[in-house]
Amino acid sequence: MSLALKELRRRPGRFGVATVILTLIAILLMFLGGLLDGLTAGNTGAIRAQQADLIVYSATSQDSLVRSRIEPQQEKRVAAVEGVSEVGELGSVQLGGRIEGKGPRDLVPVVLFGYEAASQGLPEPPTEPGEAWADDTLQAEGVKQGDVIRVGPTRSPVKVTGFVSDTRYAGQSTLWASLETWRRVQNENRPDARVAPGVSQALVVQAPGANAAELATRIDEATGGGTSSLTESEAINALPGVAAQQSVFNQIIGLTVLIAIIVVALFFALITVERIGLYGVLKALGAGSGTLFAGVLLQAVIVTVIACAVGAVAALALDAVIPVGSIPFVASGARLLGSTVFLLVAALVGCAFSLRRVLKVDPAQAIGGGQ
Amino acid sequence: MFLALKEMRRAKVRFGLLISAIGLLVLLILAQQAIQTGLITAFIGAIERQSAPVLVYSVDGQRTLQGSIITPPLEKKIRSTEGIEKSGRIGQGTFTVKVNDDSGNSDAAIIGYTDPALGAPDQLTTGRLPDRPGEAVGSDSDFSLGDRVTVLGPGGQTRGTETIEIVGLAGNAQLQVTPTLFVEWPDYVASVTSANPDAGGVLPSAIGAAPVPGMDPATLAGRINDSSLEADALTRQAAADETPGVAEVRQSFQVIFLLFGLVVPLVTGLFFLIITLQKSASLTLLRAIGARSSLLVRSLMFQVVLVIGGGLAVGIALYTPLSQAQLGDIKLSFDLRAVVLWSVLLLVLGLLSAIVSARRVLKIDPIEATTGEGGR
Amino acid sequence: MSETQTEERHRDSTGAGDSDSTPALEMEGVRKVYEVADEEVVALDHADLTLASDEIVALVGPSGSGKTTLCSIAGGILSPTEGKVVVGGKDISGYSAKQLTRFRRESVGFVFQTVNLIPFLTARENLLVVDEISSRDRKRANQRADQLLEELGLADRARNLPSQLSGGQKQRVAIGRSLMNEPALVLFDEPTSALDTKLGDQMVELIRDEMKSRGTAAIIVTHDERITGYADRTVHITDGRLEA
Repeated sequence: MSLALKELRRRPGRFGVATVILTLIAILLMFLGGLLDGLTAGNTGAIRAQQADLIVYSATSQDSLVRSRIEPQQEKRVAAVEGVSEVGELGSVQLGGRIEGKGPRDLVPVVLFGYEAASQGLPEPPTEPGEAWADDTLQAEGVKQGDVIRVGPTRSPVKVTGFVSDTRYAGQSTLWASLETWRRVQNENRPDARVAPGVSQALVVQAPGANAAELATRIDEATGGGTSSLTESEAINALPGVAAQQSVFNQIIGLTVLIAIIVVALFFALITVERIGLYGVLKALGAGSGTLFAGVLLQAVIVTVIACAVGAVAALALDAVIPVGSIPFVASGARLLGSTVFLLVAALVGCAFSLRRVLKVDPAQAIGGGQ
Repeated sequence: MFLALKEMRRAKVRFGLLISAIGLLVLLILAQQAIQTGLITAFIGAIERQSAPVLVYSVDGQRTLQGSIITPPLEKKIRSTEGIEKSGRIGQGTFTVKVNDDSGNSDAAIIGYTDPALGAPDQLTTGRLPDRPGEAVGSDSDFSLGDRVTVLGPGGQTRGTETIEIVGLAGNAQLQVTPTLFVEWPDYVASVTSANPDAGGVLPSAIGAAPVPGMDPATLAGRINDSSLEADALTRQAAADETPGVAEVRQSFQVIFLLFGLVVPLVTGLFFLIITLQKSASLTLLRAIGARSSLLVRSLMFQVVLVIGGGLAVGIALYTPLSQAQLGDIKLSFDLRAVVLWSVLLLVLGLLSAIVSARRVLKIDPIEATTGEGGR
Repeated sequence: MSETQTEERHRDSTGAGDSDSTPALEMEGVRKVYEVADEEVVALDHADLTLASDEIVALVGPSGSGKTTLCSIAGGILSPTEGKVVVGGKDISGYSAKQLTRFRRESVGFVFQTVNLIPFLTARENLLVVDEISSRDRKRANQRADQLLEELGLADRARNLPSQLSGGQKQRVAIGRSLMNEPALVLFDEPTSALDTKLGDQMVELIRDEMKSRGTAAIIVTHDERITGYADRTVHITDGRLEA
């Protein structure tokens, strides 16, 4: 074992090649993963912040928030279902926001939500009309606490009372206000999609201890098929683009890991060939194939760990440097760790390729070597 | 090139591994190119397909049809701008619909226009434009000729609601990754009121405009913007490119292409460097018995071309069936230009990456064959 | 050297019970046959060879005579096709590959023709390689390595890499390595072929001194007739056959 380590330390150049390439692949994997995470977070933040057991849309909405309408009677029926402990109304409107200091055509797309149920991700709705919590990505646009954002063609004023994190929706920043504020802004700016008092777009249902999927079925029965109730993960998957993004990106990541396996196999095969003579001598001295191969694996692991460390640093640097809103990229610890694990597995599998050659080395060639 | 081929034949495993690695990389690059194109087209294909050379949104619409509303005063101001030859209304909404007798419902984006030359698709793959109420052109990836699409009412009912028959199909005509229909204005209004009987007057989402002969669309767009701060006028292509999200997609993919594109020459260059160093004894011997340096370098370059060419062949062969497929809602297509561009780029990069190896070959001194120092 | 000191040294030898009685090597009727393209090539034909526990034998023969094959079999690198091989009291004739590997680690020393030191290890580390691969008593191995380096006159070269050592010094490191596991038998393959006359003489003297002072048996494969003067016995081999 320490033989393998000494070789790494004394002959770094030999392994430098594989390390450089693996670093590039590590950066690739981490970037792809971070991109996927960023896209997903930007799409799903608002839903995840509800921390709901179920989200209830109207049946004809195709599980789309903007096309869904829940009447007060529907809401009463949902609240009356056994197992439901709390029901909160939810509404949204997507408008352009004008921020002080920005040009007349320089609007920031925001989604204004009206809600009533607080959660760990969202504090209680502001009591003052016209006030809202703002997603902290708006800070990158220069918004500070106390600023007024004018939304929509009618320039409805919304005052920012504070900031919340990770609550974006459909890739846009969000504002979180009381239901009254939302209805007023919606009706002022979207007269063709008015909402009457008591009407909302979706219901956020808390039902601690209940089986969510089974409760969803009972709620839809109780409303006579007028609602479509989804668990939080179903609601997330129903968001446009989310499922497709996940599957496409995961396929690309999978293929990249395959490429990593081939590259490791290739370069470690080249390194092994160079060391046939050395292996012959070691075997003649009495080193078993297992010992030798363990050394190769150890070297592969160390090279990969170094490559992933550099890749992680690059990913974190990228995260710091990329301006908010240009490329949706987040560097999460889980993703960086996951990419490292993938690459480690790839390195070990790639090494197995050289196993046969190490096994085949004949100690007899060490004697009489050179004739 | 006898030597080059002999060596490759004797070392099938290593060259095979290299070619497969490059092949997969090529596949990924081309596939992602197709995904990028398909993704962008799925979002804004309809914008590029519709016939109005200039699109005018309201500023609050943030360059999306679905967010934009043109109020009557704004419409008046836009229409009276100097340089407009003609203008027409364009309306857009997304609706829940039933297609034919499907048991389930689906989504449809419906785009209505008052003037076919300002809002209808500029080319069709088959069929014709609507010439009677109740007809539409549909996106060809979602509909077939003769399909009947019914807009659902607020309670999900289909009685008395707007029904549309598909009489024409257009390619690359989706909006927001949704099946899209182009209808005449009255059908659009009927769709809106079917879905929401309480809707008041139906306002257009945008105004399509054409400049007078001699003026180009960009100039007209500038004039319209000057006439009102509420107006956001763009040429057709600009409207497509500046739809929110498109630039993000393009930028993200740029980084991906950069990274993947770097891996290919890096792997190739380093591979050839290592094998050149490993066979320096044989190379020294060849030089000692009279082989010219240029021959050895040409042999090296020949191998590089074979390897990258082989990788390209593998990658393109794998990509071709993939490019006919549909990835979820995104339709892929075989982009010949991208294939040619990447082939040339990767070949050039590969040859450049082998320069270090070539220099090593040129540095070999034949005298070392006699001293036995030739092995490195 | 006094008798008591010699006895102490002998007691260290692996597999040796009573110092002088167990032969270092007993080969009886050893044959090695290779199948090369449908033909049988007899590399070694009915070889009988016995070495006393502290005997140095010079094995002389032309190239292709089978001397390397004989060494390989005696050293447990090759298995014989027929015959019996007993090294330091252990019968290795029927050993599996794994058992042979272990045997080589523990009971035999090699000094190869092309030295074959590990280029990225220092002189001291090259000696410790044997312990490395068998993970025995590290502390004892360290002591032994230092002791050997001292005796071979390499104490001040302990930290040098092979590239920093002369041909003779490299050869001495290889000899040190071959003695690390206190072998019953050390096999030298053409130890002087890369050295000039003077160094070659010095080398063979050194070999003899080291082997004799430890009472370790050795086979020195060579085509250099000078070496025979330093050996206790010379055995000639031609076309796979030994001549007494």
